[in-house]
Amino acid sequence: MHTQFATEKHVKYLKRHLGLLPSSQQSHDVNKMAIIFYSLVSLSAIGIDVAKEYGSSAQWICRHRIALESSGSKVALSGFVGSLTLDIPNTNTVSLPNTLFALLVLRLLKCDEFFCSVRNRETICAFVSTCQVAEDGSFTSVLANKHFLPSPLDASDLRFCFIAVEILCLLGCRKLQDYSKYINVDKLIAYILSQQCDSGGFGSYGEPHAGYTSCALSTLSLLESLACLTDEFKELTLLWLVHRQVSDEGCMQLQCKNPFFDEEDHGGFQGRENKFADTCYAFWCLNSMNILQFNTSATLGTFESAKMYLLSRTQNTIIGGFSKNDVDDPDLYHTCLGVAALKLIEGTFNGVLFLPSAIDVSS
Amino acid sequence: MFEMTPKMGEFADVEPLSISTGLPDELCEIMYTDEYRELLGIARSLMARGELSERALRLTGRVIDLAPAFYTIWNYRFDILVSLSKDLSNDEKVLRLNEELDWIDEFTLNNPKNYQIWSYKQCILQNHPSPVLKRELPILKFMLDEDTKNYHVWSFRKWCILFFNDFSNELEFADSMVERDVYNNSAWTHRMFILKNLKPTAVEIKTEVEYIMRKINYVPQNISPWTYLRGIYENFLASKYDNNIVEFAKKFTSNVTDLDFEDPNVKLPDIESSYSLEFLAHIYSLQKTTIINAKRAYMGLSSKYDPIRKFYWDSQISRLH
Ligand SMILES: [Zn+2]
Repeated sequence: MHTQFATEKHVKYLKRHLGLLPSSQQSHDVNKMAIIFYSLVSLSAIGIDVAKEYGSSAQWICRHRIALESSGSKVALSGFVGSLTLDIPNTNTVSLPNTLFALLVLRLLKCDEFFCSVRNRETICAFVSTCQVAEDGSFTSVLANKHFLPSPLDASDLRFCFIAVEILCLLGCRKLQDYSKYINVDKLIAYILSQQCDSGGFGSYGEPHAGYTSCALSTLSLLESLACLTDEFKELTLLWLVHRQVSDEGCMQLQCKNPFFDEEDHGGFQGRENKFADTCYAFWCLNSMNILQFNTSATLGTFESAKMYLLSRTQNTIIGGFSKNDVDDPDLYHTCLGVAALKLIEGTFNGVLFLPSAIDVSS
Repeated sequence: MFEMTPKMGEFADVEPLSISTGLPDELCEIMYTDEYRELLGIARSLMARGELSERALRLTGRVIDLAPAFYTIWNYRFDILVSLSKDLSNDEKVLRLNEELDWIDEFTLNNPKNYQIWSYKQCILQNHPSPVLKRELPILKFMLDEDTKNYHVWSFRKWCILFFNDFSNELEFADSMVERDVYNNSAWTHRMFILKNLKPTAVEIKTEVEYIMRKINYVPQNISPWTYLRGIYENFLASKYDNNIVEFAKKFTSNVTDLDFEDPNVKLPDIESSYSLEFLAHIYSLQKTTIINAKRAYMGLSSKYDPIRKFYWDSQISRLH
């Protein structure tokens, strides 16, 4: 059983994703920015100086910023596309997730001058502002094809709320009044509160989900608005989160009839009740617990068993990377989330911003 | 499946807008297939000039098959569809959008993990002159048969129920899913969602509690019905836990909360469910006279019945006094 972090293997695995990719990766073309971000943030968290090794690509990253003109050819908004394949004239192809990934990549590459430009900042903030849905305060990830309106056929949910708010944060918003210049904060908070579940946690239509829970808590944390949640709800949410840790001890062994239980998952986290553990939920749950400030010394056991689960069960020590579980091949997303969870446990990762703590986002 | 490249077919007149690659310092350069380059070249060209035609609609289908994550192609497809159906009579529009719903269903069956499809479908239903819930139920049932806890499918189902304002099938459906897997938490939360919307009578709630008891008797160590039970008391019974339910929960705990934990020789018995003990701990913590029992329950959870969450149970003990 391997319990050491296979640094060299992981670095190789991650760097491979930044090089020439086979055509089997074609279906990810439009979200290439995600591949770049997941690889670079993981490398940086592991301790690679990505600004030094990949800094020269900052210019190429910036080419993915598309300015959208309103009538009279005045630049009204701008954002990033995930791939130059989406740089298509007269079409709104920028998206919130790709914009966030690109901004985080520029931070990782220490391309600070991008953030100094008022025009960059203001036009991207205007894009974020346009994605807010007037009716309920949530966000869509893209605009309508030809109009500066939220896309009528996109989902709007807590993921995009979080992404919108973090973009504003990276562009300089700190206090509520900063955010209020671009978005309706009251409506957004009301939307987040509407996603609270009876049993604690957040999700759609009353079914809590660890990913949405992390997004909701991270958003409120950035907005310095955690006080909107009642103490009772915070308490319930913490209880819901600690219950997501899968265990093979005590009564937890009495689940032989449960088709989604595997005692070998001990220490790992699941995203919802009665599901198998999955690498990525270690991050989403631990990050949520951190935000609720339950990372005291008493929780060391929780963190230690999660770490053991990741290192011994989902880490691939032959080709590098982490997989979702012990069955699948490693993939980039779970590698990134696995590394982030381990660095969060070590205390060197800012889970709310999803960046290594050492990366400066203040300037 | 892809016999003719589009250039050779109906797009011979279109000057492709090629994808630019091979730039300095490019990361993640993909070795595109010729098919991808050609198809995307034409799609980009049509999107740039905003062509809203039948052939453009067909092309979006081919692009979506090849690159389902191409988020804006969905927007483009929708614009084409709106444009093509704007001068149609009501009946013709129904036919057109039904055709689109059929296309969506086929795509869904081939791409069960794609979640963009569900919000696209919502939008089509919202624009449909006479949408029908009955049309949606078979595919939803099929998808949940294949993947019983698919979050997007369950969410879409709840959206549909609200959109059509028809709750009539749902308790039965949730029951069939619980019957199949009593651990399916999505089915339990679906049931709660329906119940909250149906505003049940006191008699119906009593029947519901009996239903939960049967499911717990069948498998006591299952978090879902215990959470659901607490939800029923909080939402419909003003959190007034009666003696019946306390006695029911105690059945699974070998009366461990009556033991004297101060006694160094006390031996904790095996119990059938940590969730029943946790349920009792919650009820006992609500009243001063039973705080001692709540403490014992948490001590049991911490030391024997659910020790991985020890720090949490210990923090509960220190808060009770
Ligand atoms: Zn995962």
